[in-house]
Amino acid sequence: MESRILRPTLALYTACFLLFLYGPMIVLAILSFQSIDGGPQFPIRDWSIYWYEHLLGLAETSRVSQLPVGESLIRSIVLAFMTTVVSTVLGVMSAEAFRTKFKGSGPAFYLIILGMMVPGVLVGLGMALLSNTLDLGRAWWGTSFVLHVVYTYPFAFLVMLAIFNRFDRTVEEASLSLGVSPAQTFRRVTFPIIFPGVLSAMLFSFTLSYDEFARTLFTAGRDLTLPLAIYGTFSVEIYPNLFAFGVLTTLFSFTLLVIYGLLMKRFTSKASRYKGQEDA
Amino acid sequence: MLTLSRVSRRYGETVALSGVDFVVPENTYMSLLGASGSGKTTLLRLIAGFEEPDQGEISIDGDRIDGQPSHLRDIGFVFQNFALFPHLTVAENVAFGLRYRAHAPLTKEAEIKDRTEDMMALVGLSGFGHRAVSAISGGQRQRVALARTLVCEPRIVLLDEPLGALDANLRARMCDELKAIRERLGVSFLHVTGSETEALTMGDKVAVLADGRIMQSDAPDMLFNQPGNAEAARHLNAWNIFEAGLCRGDVSSGTIAVRFDQMDVSAEGAAPQGRPALGAKYLTGEFNGPTALSFFRADDGTLLQVIDHLSQPRLPDLVEGQRYDIHFAPQALRQFHGAA
Repeated sequence: MESRILRPTLALYTACFLLFLYGPMIVLAILSFQSIDGGPQFPIRDWSIYWYEHLLGLAETSRVSQLPVGESLIRSIVLAFMTTVVSTVLGVMSAEAFRTKFKGSGPAFYLIILGMMVPGVLVGLGMALLSNTLDLGRAWWGTSFVLHVVYTYPFAFLVMLAIFNRFDRTVEEASLSLGVSPAQTFRRVTFPIIFPGVLSAMLFSFTLSYDEFARTLFTAGRDLTLPLAIYGTFSVEIYPNLFAFGVLTTLFSFTLLVIYGLLMKRFTSKASRYKGQEDA
Repeated sequence: MLTLSRVSRRYGETVALSGVDFVVPENTYMSLLGASGSGKTTLLRLIAGFEEPDQGEISIDGDRIDGQPSHLRDIGFVFQNFALFPHLTVAENVAFGLRYRAHAPLTKEAEIKDRTEDMMALVGLSGFGHRAVSAISGGQRQRVALARTLVCEPRIVLLDEPLGALDANLRARMCDELKAIRERLGVSFLHVTGSETEALTMGDKVAVLADGRIMQSDAPDMLFNQPGNAEAARHLNAWNIFEAGLCRGDVSSGTIAVRFDQMDVSAEGAAPQGRPALGAKYLTGEFNGPTALSFFRADDGTLLQVIDHLSQPRLPDLVEGQRYDIHFAPQALRQFHGAA
């Protein structure tokens, strides 16, 4: 009786919620197909892919200057990649350290987590002041990179902590008892088993760094990252080429997500068939 | 030969092991019997090097191994949950040690394959090599765990309740197989268990661990028939342990023990002359198939058990709540000196 009303209601609610969630993106996607003489709003005068051509420099010259995103896109991807590598390595190493209780593990835990809790604007400002004081140049690959790591490392750390929490230590002991050194044991046993978690930590680090704004704003120096470059174009005038760019980056993110999904599936397929050992 | 002398291990205030002296001879199946919490797993972990003793020495053939990293000790360990590598196939699990060990790893794939297959044949896993470890049964996982350890030819193999995760039928079969495999390889096994039947069936020698100490280490029949102290007797689950003062007749003092199957029951006051006897109230009976257990409560509250074999019944009809005389032959009695 109850589910006859409840389930459709919940379904409707979920549908509305998803629509609301993706509404902005849908609007953005539709507007990106605006014609050459149309503005960044409805109505659509005519459907075209002009703004995509414009974005990629394929359109004939127009009154609208090309979106200055090329280099900043590369910078953002490189920065996100550097951040991903460093944060994930740090996250895995520190989570491994936290498997055993050590002196000061409590304070150390909170100090790590603080990196994702403190307001980005404040940290960014602080870093800017610090680099001024120390007379260090600000750059996306220096000051911004450090802050991106400080920000994303706690996420990677927490993901890995959760993974290690469910990790059965006896498989490592089994490896040791077979005469395999601790380093080889990590490489041959621990790492393959925790790999799905490492992938998740990497995805977190990458996406958080890729669209980080507040921390980067104060510390990037002269060369801008993608979110800063896009923000910069707002101050002139908005054209639908920005929407076209939004659609393309979303597709890029989606591709990353699909790769993540496929890798996960590949590495957990064995583990999911693994029903645990007590059901002997 | 594995020797432990005065090995102690504490966890904060809790004493897990206090001064264990213990020897596992060459080419021996040694059972270690202990209740849960008696420190038997701790003892194995100390030998394997997963933990270090607070005091004492552990040595193999005279070489001290405590303090050495576990992967250099050359000691096999079979875990209760098998601890197979979930991301590898059966064959890869078995070949793991040969391939990746720090000391003299094998590099020729052909040799690894040969030795892996020989070992899998020995434990009865031929043809399962390509399977995922999740796609085999509990008994087969047990064999993988065993093969993986044995293929590395360790100096001694430690088994931590290896049959605990198996069902009863399989357990009985694995018991025989474990013994046969060990005899073929000639390596010493140290098998830890909480089950007295398992310990007595498997062991060439059986040691009893209680209160963090080895209470007795003897051949199974010796241990069973002549436990050296009350603790050892208690673990065999076959001895009534009680105060000699409860008995009428000429009985020595202190704590004594009489086996379940050597006690007889008769109506109150009808105990034969010349046999020590004590009065007790019949509580209840338990039918176990070929045997039946009867429970009695002695005057000081001690629980007494009498076992009766179905083919040779010797107990009268018992009424719950009624008092009876329990008596036994004077030579059936075992006397323990010192505290129980």
